[in-house]
Amino acid sequence: MSYIAGVDIGNSTTEVCLAEIPAGGSLRFLASASCPTTGTKGTAANVHGIQSALKQAVGKAGISMNDLALIRINEAAPVIGDTAMETLTETIITDSSMIGHNPSTPAGAGQAVGEILHIQNLSNAAAGTPYIIAVPKEYSYEETAALINDAADRLKITGIILQADEAVLVENRLRQKIPIIDEVSRIEKIPDEVLAAIEVALPGQSVRMLSNPYGIATLLGLSPEETRAVTPIAKSLIGKRSAVVLKTPGGNIHENVLPAGEIYLQADQSSTINLDEGADKIMQAVTNAGEIYDISGQPNTNVGNMLSRIKKGMSELDQSQNADIRITDILAVDTLAPVLISGALAGETCLEKAVGIAAMVKTQKLPMQEIARILQEELNTEVTVAGVEAVMASLGAFTTPGTKLPLVILDMGGGSTDAAVITDGGHVSITHQAGAGELVSMLIETELGLGDRHMAEQIKKYPLAKVESLFHLRMENGQMSFVDESIDPRFYGRVVLLAENGLIRIEQDIPMEKIAQVRREAKRKVFVTNAVRALKTVAPGHDLKNLSNVVLVGGSAEDFEIPEMLMEEFTNYRIVCGRGNIRGSEGPRNAVATGLVLSYLGERR
Amino acid sequence: MQINEELVTQITHAILAQMGQDAEPSSKPVPSMAGHSRINDEKTSYAGYPKAKQGTDPKEVVIGVGAAFQREIKKTICGIPLDDVLKNIKAGIEEEGMVARVVKVLDTSDVCFMALEAAKLSGSGFGIGIQSKGTTVIHQKDLYPLSNLELFPQAPLMTLETYRKIGQNAAKYVKGEQVVPIPCENDPMCRPKFQVKAALMHIAETEQLDPELGIIEWEEE
Repeated sequence: MSYIAGVDIGNSTTEVCLAEIPAGGSLRFLASASCPTTGTKGTAANVHGIQSALKQAVGKAGISMNDLALIRINEAAPVIGDTAMETLTETIITDSSMIGHNPSTPAGAGQAVGEILHIQNLSNAAAGTPYIIAVPKEYSYEETAALINDAADRLKITGIILQADEAVLVENRLRQKIPIIDEVSRIEKIPDEVLAAIEVALPGQSVRMLSNPYGIATLLGLSPEETRAVTPIAKSLIGKRSAVVLKTPGGNIHENVLPAGEIYLQADQSSTINLDEGADKIMQAVTNAGEIYDISGQPNTNVGNMLSRIKKGMSELDQSQNADIRITDILAVDTLAPVLISGALAGETCLEKAVGIAAMVKTQKLPMQEIARILQEELNTEVTVAGVEAVMASLGAFTTPGTKLPLVILDMGGGSTDAAVITDGGHVSITHQAGAGELVSMLIETELGLGDRHMAEQIKKYPLAKVESLFHLRMENGQMSFVDESIDPRFYGRVVLLAENGLIRIEQDIPMEKIAQVRREAKRKVFVTNAVRALKTVAPGHDLKNLSNVVLVGGSAEDFEIPEMLMEEFTNYRIVCGRGNIRGSEGPRNAVATGLVLSYLGERR
Repeated sequence: MQINEELVTQITHAILAQMGQDAEPSSKPVPSMAGHSRINDEKTSYAGYPKAKQGTDPKEVVIGVGAAFQREIKKTICGIPLDDVLKNIKAGIEEEGMVARVVKVLDTSDVCFMALEAAKLSGSGFGIGIQSKGTTVIHQKDLYPLSNLELFPQAPLMTLETYRKIGQNAAKYVKGEQVVPIPCENDPMCRPKFQVKAALMHIAETEQLDPELGIIEWEEE
């Protein structure tokens, strides 16, 4: 009787499969365990993670570490995924020509045009000129309303801009109903006597005149040239509930295109692409390039620095002389990032174009033998490095009930998406592609402007709900769920994540629908693109129609919506595609570890 | 430096002498509770005031004020006039588009129970309780008394700004919107500094209770 363990070191998780082989008998699986990978995959730092995963597994099986006769670790593919993000455009306001923001409670509705007049100059105003009054927060709502009611007979007042959050309070005290915008924090920056237009949208709608260049032209009487110049203003006001546009002589908004740089593909078909051509063009070039030897960026540009940073990180792992480190694949994804507009008056943001890139770095060989040696010394057990990762994963995936040869696996992890095909004859072809779970997290983080990777990870993992009262929540699919014990008031009115052990609160005030949409789009952009790309590479004749079964394995296959997305996508090619169920019990995880144990049997025979 | 008993005695004497001098010129009559069993001998009668009605407006937030509010006590523990406190809470509710109604709670001076009773009277089920010393709670009608929505326990550190935001938050609960956490100061010395004053104000409030009357409509200017 002997116990053997298979250990799979992944980019983010280390997995163990423990089995018992009675003398002459057949193999019996005892337990499996997983732990976060310690250190970068393929380095000596992994040993801690391996040990704790092993401890977990032997604990579950009720045996001791000394009983282990053999540990088999995977020949990890020497590829590491890394991600980076660059914004391609930036919006700058000069001379404060725009305010467009979403105060929670503006008052009134409609548009107004007039000359800006600060309230302290009310007495100097001329009759007959339409005015928009700017009021700093030193004036209380009662004073403001009284002053404006007084002046209303004398002057033509068309709108009000407030610094304090008091629009409704002022409106309720005015005799004449006019649009009022509040919470404009830097009101002192608004110049006197310039022509301005303000708009407050009807409830449930967004501004219509000021988000339209011709609307602005109509209200402010602009020439065709000026109208062209206000287009970026209009663009950045789309979706706002209220807005102010000022017509200042020198004032303008620029949309700068940042020098993002070029990407050089060194391949069968070498080519050069500019980053600001967008993700589609980049991916097209990558597809057409054939086999890629290396990818680099224009020195001293954003993308150049980004790619060299990734390579440098990898070179710290491979200490060997003249280490050969190359980027062999990239996945580029178009995205939008909310960026604070420089020169803004009320903390406005603008969605800037950005591109997210995941790169696949390849080095000669990871020092797996070194890990095996350290582990052997520390545990006093024989440790061998066995088998190529993708082959092992295929073996493991084959234990899913209902599979047959030829079998295709799609291993979706944290850093990379791998695919492998085993033909009837046992021939295996594999591919590694950049971009997986981590890129999804990064996209979610940027597009929602979270500034918190951990939160983005959680949004990726858990479904959403909105706490509508202390006794019920609405799930993202519209279903209502009632609770017996009142929900903690901290969650009231919030969008929350339904984690295994309770709710997680999302701090930012972003509608649930928007979060769900960004999350799904991010997953689709990364996983659907990559799955199709990876399978095309390994499919016989590079045609998806030649595949029949695809088994999804790896951490990201556990996701609650990615497998369904892929299933929908592959139905078009008549491919049976589904989440693997390793050994009929483990779900999509533990494929490589199981494969390592199974391959031992094969070797013994 | 050497410290001996003699030196300590000398210093103590010097200090005592000095304190004696200071105390003498300012020895005005200190208000004393001796012989009194109440802080305010008079008890205000609210007989004849209309009993607070059950609200039906779904936009309503009921503010339940303490028994001594705007009568025996006119300022919070840190000296903010209660008129302004009430005005700001009401302004906060109004800015969010909801409607405020004020009642006076005469059957309890516990701020959580006050808030809960106000919430029960409120058409929306949300209410605010304010003690005359300034402590404030936002409550919802179907919660336990002590598990409120928001509690602002350090009355001495409250500002009118805070009261405005409390009103806004209470209204946001009504609308089912995400509330914004209200930034509050926290001072660990606040409790020892104000403990006596807080206790006295609370007693002054409690002795004005009139449980027979329960809760009355309160529209004091």
